[in-house]
Amino acid sequence: MAGENEKGKETPKAGAAGPRKLGRREVLTGLSTVPALGLFGYAWNRQRQYQQAKAEAAAAPAEAPKDLQVINVALLGAGAQGQVLTDAMLRIPGLRFRAVCDIWAEYNQKRVVNSLAKFKHEVRGYENYREMLDKEKDLDAVVIATPDFWHAQHAIDCLKAGKHVYCEKEMSNTLEGARSMVAAARETGKLLQIGHQRRSNPRYLHCYEKLLREAKLLGRIVTVSGQWNRALAPDLGAPARYAIPDARLTQYGFKDMHQFRNWRWFKGKGGGPIVDLGSHQIDIYSWFLGANPTGVMASGGLLYLDPATHEWYDTVMAVYDFETPMGKVKASYQTQTHNGSQGYFENFMGDQGTLLLSESEVYGARLYRDPNAPAWDTWVQKGYVSAPKIQEMKEKTEGVTDVRESVSPDEHKVSIVLRDPYHQPHLQNFFNAVRGKAKLNCPPEVAYESAVAVLKVNEAIEAGSRLSFKPEDFRI
Amino acid sequence: MSTDGHEHADGPRGPADGGLEIEGRGELCGAQRFSHEAMATVFEVHAVHPDERYAAQAAQAAFDLVDRLEGELSRFRPNSDIARVNCLTAGGSTRVGPSAMECLVIARHMFDLTGGAFDVAIGTGLPSLELDPDDCFVRATTDWVRIDLGGIGKGYAVDLMAELLEEWGIEKALVHGGFSSVLALEAPAGLDGWPLTLSDPGSPSRVFAHLSVRQMALGASGLRKGDHIVDPRTGEPARGRRAAWVAIPRPDTARLEARSEGRPRVAAAAVADALTTAFMLMSLEEIEALCAQTPGLQAWALPEPEHDRQEQATLLHIGGSGPGYTSTSW
Repeated sequence: MAGENEKGKETPKAGAAGPRKLGRREVLTGLSTVPALGLFGYAWNRQRQYQQAKAEAAAAPAEAPKDLQVINVALLGAGAQGQVLTDAMLRIPGLRFRAVCDIWAEYNQKRVVNSLAKFKHEVRGYENYREMLDKEKDLDAVVIATPDFWHAQHAIDCLKAGKHVYCEKEMSNTLEGARSMVAAARETGKLLQIGHQRRSNPRYLHCYEKLLREAKLLGRIVTVSGQWNRALAPDLGAPARYAIPDARLTQYGFKDMHQFRNWRWFKGKGGGPIVDLGSHQIDIYSWFLGANPTGVMASGGLLYLDPATHEWYDTVMAVYDFETPMGKVKASYQTQTHNGSQGYFENFMGDQGTLLLSESEVYGARLYRDPNAPAWDTWVQKGYVSAPKIQEMKEKTEGVTDVRESVSPDEHKVSIVLRDPYHQPHLQNFFNAVRGKAKLNCPPEVAYESAVAVLKVNEAIEAGSRLSFKPEDFRI
Repeated sequence: MSTDGHEHADGPRGPADGGLEIEGRGELCGAQRFSHEAMATVFEVHAVHPDERYAAQAAQAAFDLVDRLEGELSRFRPNSDIARVNCLTAGGSTRVGPSAMECLVIARHMFDLTGGAFDVAIGTGLPSLELDPDDCFVRATTDWVRIDLGGIGKGYAVDLMAELLEEWGIEKALVHGGFSSVLALEAPAGLDGWPLTLSDPGSPSRVFAHLSVRQMALGASGLRKGDHIVDPRTGEPARGRRAAWVAIPRPDTARLEARSEGRPRVAAAAVADALTTAFMLMSLEEIEALCAQTPGLQAWALPEPEHDRQEQATLLHIGGSGPGYTSTSW
């Protein structure tokens, strides 16, 4: 497609010290003198470019300032999420990878070991995490991205081995598991961050701290809605040549390759989409409302997918009750995996305004002021929200104004852009805490409250009635 | 469908806008077809495999890979590697992932090879970006380089999708992104190659050539009437050609058995994608020079008719006839 300069970006003016346009003669000369590099010459041309770049560059900025303490890291769980976390970590200065542990030695473990080697991290691969903890002498932290039913065991053993731990959400597939993780963190005094990465997302932090707590832009929040709708996709499979032998699958708690790849759908392993997807957003509900729920009712079922290969609900609708300092709130949440309409977002609705937000950088955050609310000029001037984009006025029909039609509220945006991979800020927060330079944004006690709220939904579906929470339920 | 002078580009490119298609839309080959929207086009996997469910899972794994790549390579995703590169000012640097680095390295090579006709920086100074592939760092030496991987990203995705299918043991397959970037692996049983047609993007019923391809990467570029593309060498809109196609045999070193971690990727579809874009602008002499020094490379060019007359344009074929090529008269 034809390229075009983005609006607002300056294009180099003629005569300015800018890129010189090649004349036609130079083009032809260039072509005739280009050695026969061949179409794939970039492969060995690479070395030449690199040397040139190094030679010509001024002293290149060091990858990490000399006084930045290097942290030795191991990855436990090299599946899809482990790879996402590794991608993000490779962009964080001051980390040295030492080991990768995954039971899928033939495929995922090897893949991540090789990709780390490309970045000059000499890592050892392990199938058994205890062996890794025994053998790795220079290890400060472990990042855990194994299936939910393994989280408690893995996190506890790593903490007891003296390592700081970043563990993916959901904290655990059981409350007992989650409780034992909190206990282990307290006993060992090591850091435990749970991977609710929106807690470190700059836009979410801005919305919570500046827009809700400071400016109180929405007034009194009364209702919240949220969803994660995901389009239909086949079950996860695996390349036949890399199938894991049955004995190894059994040893680590899997019935077969299908269950190994699709553990999220099985009882005793994961909690289905409400836990996989909902745990992120239900965590935001509690965070932004400043309260834990007092009750939940939910309806769900396996409406679409094959019960022979799925145990959890593919469709869930839940309604939470909250009591906040400002008053009562009802918050609904929906998830399903056969249609991706509107994707994922959270919607906070108050008597003075609405906040619609999504982790998606493409969507961002949008705010709408109720026309009767006080003006937001101060906050616009402070840069907390953008100036409003004026929506179209509805045209009046001949002399009659229909009083039922309200004017569309103007749209404000939040101009905080994340330029890094989604999980990077939360991992950075963890590693900064390891260095003693920050506090964890999602320590185990906070994540535990979230786990209580989220794991209750499957229970409520089973019970077919509203379940209550007591305040003590959230405390350990 | 006839071309009338009033058509204008008004939406994302549809499939076969470049005039490249599977003959009979693949149904004749007994292949299963899987589709997925990404990178503002429709990617497809055509696969022949006895286990339909396994093939569907493999295709989905390939589509998940495309989605991941889009998140890293698209300049429209604010937190992609390329968006971050585009925020760099002089002296700034950023680490990118291996895929973005690989695309930039290939793009720089194609820039050199085509004398700047293929330019992912579209004239904003690609050579001023320093690429450090060993550390995966990109360093800007000026303020204004802007990268758009649109001319190479689909091809690169197609290369990686094909590698994945081979890992899954699905060897008889064809992968494409909007039919502007195509990679044919092995052909369905009983056929020498996947049957493709080259036709006039303005009137698809006018078929110029029938190809029968295996282990081949192809690129197709077409302009709708009235569209212009920017010539990065001059910075000005250029009329360009109506269409250009490129075919490159996939080297043996790209196949699963020959692949190894230490060896750089041979990205035939990415290279074909880049060349097709360049060939929309390069002169015939320049294209001939490149084909002459690259055995196996073939190109086809369809000029824009002079003075907007409705005369039939003449397809030009440059480069040696590759295996499995038969032409119809035009």
